[in-house]
Amino acid sequence: MGVIRRTGMFILQVNPILCDGFGHCAELAPELVHLDEWGYPIISKEPVPMADLGSYESARYAERGCPRQALHVAKVNSPAPVSNVPLNLPRPARAVSRERRPL
Amino acid sequence: MIALTTPYLWFATRATGIVVMLLFTAVVALGTLVANRVGGTFIGRFEVNEVHRSLSMVAMFFLAIHIVTTVLDSFVSTGLISAFIPMTSTYKRVPVALGAVAFDLLLAVWISSLLKLRIKNQSWRFIHWFSWLAFATSLVHGYLTGTDAHKGIGMLLVAGCAGFVALAGIWRFLGRPTRAAGRTALSPLASPPVPPRPRLPESFPKTPPRPPASRGRR
Repeated sequence: MGVIRRTGMFILQVNPILCDGFGHCAELAPELVHLDEWGYPIISKEPVPMADLGSYESARYAERGCPRQALHVAKVNSPAPVSNVPLNLPRPARAVSRERRPL
Repeated sequence: MIALTTPYLWFATRATGIVVMLLFTAVVALGTLVANRVGGTFIGRFEVNEVHRSLSMVAMFFLAIHIVTTVLDSFVSTGLISAFIPMTSTYKRVPVALGAVAFDLLLAVWISSLLKLRIKNQSWRFIHWFSWLAFATSLVHGYLTGTDAHKGIGMLLVAGCAGFVALAGIWRFLGRPTRAAGRTALSPLASPPVPPRPRLPESFPKTPPRPPASRGRR
């Protein structure tokens, strides 16, 4: 009976080291994730309001559905990132080889 | 109350054994589909993954019935301990032990998958390889223990499941994409690369101007 107030914002973070480009996130959260031509996700770093319930649910589904656990829904309190690198994530390094690790 | 001396528990054990074998064959095959990134055209890749996950839960349910009916049945003297610890059954010691080993491996795979968001992905993947071992062990268990596995349809089913999973395993390693397999057709191809964000409320402070964005891999 109570009204659930969704306050705050969230960011869908991708760990580019874990990501192998399965593309599940773009199918589960098409409003948040877009794929580049190699199939890796491009996700905006702008925080999304929690009140956008559809987007939040999609983000949670994408987090759960990622086969490599490369996605994380981070809750942020500040409305907008101050820096261009808003989160404690490693930047996508150019030097990182995309070779498949031995299994 | 089911009398424990009726043969129906034993029949249920045999029937669910066959069902579990077929279900786990499907689960392993679907797992190879996920790993080799099938989907993205008429069926989503995430849908293949969801079917894999859901069907594995169905298979675990039938496996639970298989084990519970075996334990309850008084026709064979297989206790609850024998379901978990190998070589404790007086009835068909080694074949039942193989089943216990397979069940323990499957428990590891199942629990690690339930904890998937909590543990490292590397650990989960390592444990998930056990499923191949569990399938092979359980198939040998089914062939050695199974009352119906030595003739007719039963033997055909065992051989069919073994061959199917063997082919799936070969295809798993030969047919896997070496890199990301590109966009999926279900992904929004035509939309702009960065979607418009919902507007912030006016009360939030303005974002300070940013340096010109430099994209990582351009």
